[in-house]
Amino acid sequence: MKGRLLSLGFMIVCVSLVAGLNLPAFAQDVIKIGAVQPITGRFSFAGVNIDAGLKDALMMANEAGGINGKKIQYIMEDGEYKMDAASAAFKRIMSRDNPMIMYGESTGLGKAMAPEIKDRYKILYSSTSFSGELADVKANPYVFVPGPTYADQFGILLKHIAKEKPGAKVAFFYSDTEFGKDPVPYGKEMCKKLNLNLVAEEVAKVGDVDVTSQVLDLKRKEPDYVIFQGFVTSPVPTVIKQCKDFGMKAKYMGTFWGMDKMMLDQLGPLAEGYLGVNPYNYWWAEEIPMIKKIREYTKKNYPTVDYRPNSYFQGFVTGLIFVECLKAADKAGQLNGDGLVKALQAIKNMDTGGLTAPLTWRDNKFPVARVWKANVDKKIFEPASDWMEIE
Amino acid sequence: MRCGDFRESYLEDEKIFQSTFVKVWLVILLVGLVTLPLFANDYVMYVANQIGFAVIAAVGLNLLTGCTGQISLGHAAFIGVGGYATAVLITRFGIPFWFALPLAGLISAGVGMVIGIPSLRVKGLYLCIATLAAQFILEYVFINWEGVTQGIRGINVPPPRIGSFVFATEKSFYYLTLVVVVAAVGFARNILRTKWGRAFVAIRDRDLAAEMMGIDLFRHKLIAFALSSFYAGVAGGLWVSFMKIVTPEHFPFSRSIEYLAMIIVGGLGSVLGSIFGAIFMVLVPELLNVATGSLKGFFPNLTQIFIPMKEVIFGFLIVGFLIFEPHGLAEIWHRIKNFFSLWPFSY
Repeated sequence: MKGRLLSLGFMIVCVSLVAGLNLPAFAQDVIKIGAVQPITGRFSFAGVNIDAGLKDALMMANEAGGINGKKIQYIMEDGEYKMDAASAAFKRIMSRDNPMIMYGESTGLGKAMAPEIKDRYKILYSSTSFSGELADVKANPYVFVPGPTYADQFGILLKHIAKEKPGAKVAFFYSDTEFGKDPVPYGKEMCKKLNLNLVAEEVAKVGDVDVTSQVLDLKRKEPDYVIFQGFVTSPVPTVIKQCKDFGMKAKYMGTFWGMDKMMLDQLGPLAEGYLGVNPYNYWWAEEIPMIKKIREYTKKNYPTVDYRPNSYFQGFVTGLIFVECLKAADKAGQLNGDGLVKALQAIKNMDTGGLTAPLTWRDNKFPVARVWKANVDKKIFEPASDWMEIE
Repeated sequence: MRCGDFRESYLEDEKIFQSTFVKVWLVILLVGLVTLPLFANDYVMYVANQIGFAVIAAVGLNLLTGCTGQISLGHAAFIGVGGYATAVLITRFGIPFWFALPLAGLISAGVGMVIGIPSLRVKGLYLCIATLAAQFILEYVFINWEGVTQGIRGINVPPPRIGSFVFATEKSFYYLTLVVVVAAVGFARNILRTKWGRAFVAIRDRDLAAEMMGIDLFRHKLIAFALSSFYAGVAGGLWVSFMKIVTPEHFPFSRSIEYLAMIIVGGLGSVLGSIFGAIFMVLVPELLNVATGSLKGFFPNLTQIFIPMKEVIFGFLIVGFLIFEPHGLAEIWHRIKNFFSLWPFSY
């Protein structure tokens, strides 16, 4: 019995090996784009959508004729939102498929791979992360952020506050993760520059249940605005609820990951007055040409899907930027990492069909976004400002 | 024809190379390992390196948990201490990798001994919790001692070099890993044959009896902790030099559990078992990845189902092992070996 089990196991291993090696051969006129996506693990709620967005953008480009006739092939592996699994997936794709462009699942993976991307692989790289550390043209010339960094997002929010209520009292409420701490130093600097009064900095764990001490501190310091960073939802609803219970009149704000419909669903009526920053338009803005196109494409290819969250649009816009770079690099006859970087740096007023403001490259990022306000009755976010750019 | 070994003394029983046959096979294995980079791609070499780091750390944990019977839930943290020590020694103090690595092992051993102190008073599950505390305390230190560890941002580690030769690629680093693995495995195999090794096993089997035989429990338990942490520290140092970065994300609690699983699946108290366990735990998820990846090509619409499936399969495989083969992979290996060495006259 055991012998049979063993041989069965051995066979499974052999079959999977053979199956893995026996990949179909591809034509030569194919441009490969690799991606390590967090399909499983704690970031999977976004990973699945980012993957769909990126893939759809590339496949739509293929349907429209590809890159000057060349087809794009999208190769995706699961990174599990774990450093080692993701690094392994990255290496697997690089050694098996040798793509020209890679997409990564986390800030951590980007940082781990940055030295090799620069010195060894020389490929264009973008990721799910809006971390400022990655968008540094000198240190990481091949790595770009498909929107404003978290610091830029803070800048946009603070600018909005300074306009709405000069000299306002502001509090930062962030998680004790890299994601949470990333924009805080810049945020402090901006507060000084804009003459805003930073009265409190509160730190909590992602998913914390007990935030009483932080809320009591907020109550004492009476900020006019509380900006959340580094959480997806929890503990934001709890904080807002407790603050409102204490009769605080503050306005609450979030950055990209706190600006999805999921947040509105969790907040319910508490979302009244909730503001935040998002560089991309939303699914419900049906009048936008690109959204219309995406909705048609979704209806055709995924009939059961009736909503796409903002993480989908992040992936989609990244895909659009990839396609733009590929087209320009191919035209220039330099279809490789360096050619792609040149094309990236030359992006000016790129039209995304209304999905974002016209995109212009600045130091390996696209620092333009707008402030949105929650509409509790319709359960949507509506524009509260025009597109703003951070220099 | 070979039909079994006939040993006449205890000395022969404890021989590492039991017969010429074994020696020949070991040489073949070594030649295979040395020539592997000639025909493997970067990804295979990446996995081979990962297996190497896992083998070193798992052998260390097996010395502590499998041989001495002291369960540790903080092994990942000790790997982290080694990783951070290597990174800090290289970047802050400018010490070359070749000295930083053993020093990191010693630092990790020192921390391990401190954590091991409660082991005199507490045993079994209680010790488990004590080492669990170590895991969380050390993780906290990695994240919050920003002056040294640079917090969540981590430290970039330059790859090791000899003269102008840099161990920057998977293939070149593999040789470095291989040398350390061979040294680590050889040392562990030998230490089990010494007075210390026997004392470890005596403590595991019955600590009271061991003490009555004159074994200093505290001293030997501490030595086991130090040895195990030394191995972990070296594995951590190698790992971060290979990855070129160290962040607290590398050493979560789940990794400690993974190492425990490695030695349980491989075979508790057996050096060979640690090796098999490490190979199994690193290789099987990768193979499952490849398998689900290729299935994805045939059923593109079922990607969302196949990819998470690998975790489920992996879980079943481990449970299957525990039920059908509680002595681990090492036992399966022995059976296969015996089958072939006695074939066709097995009885």
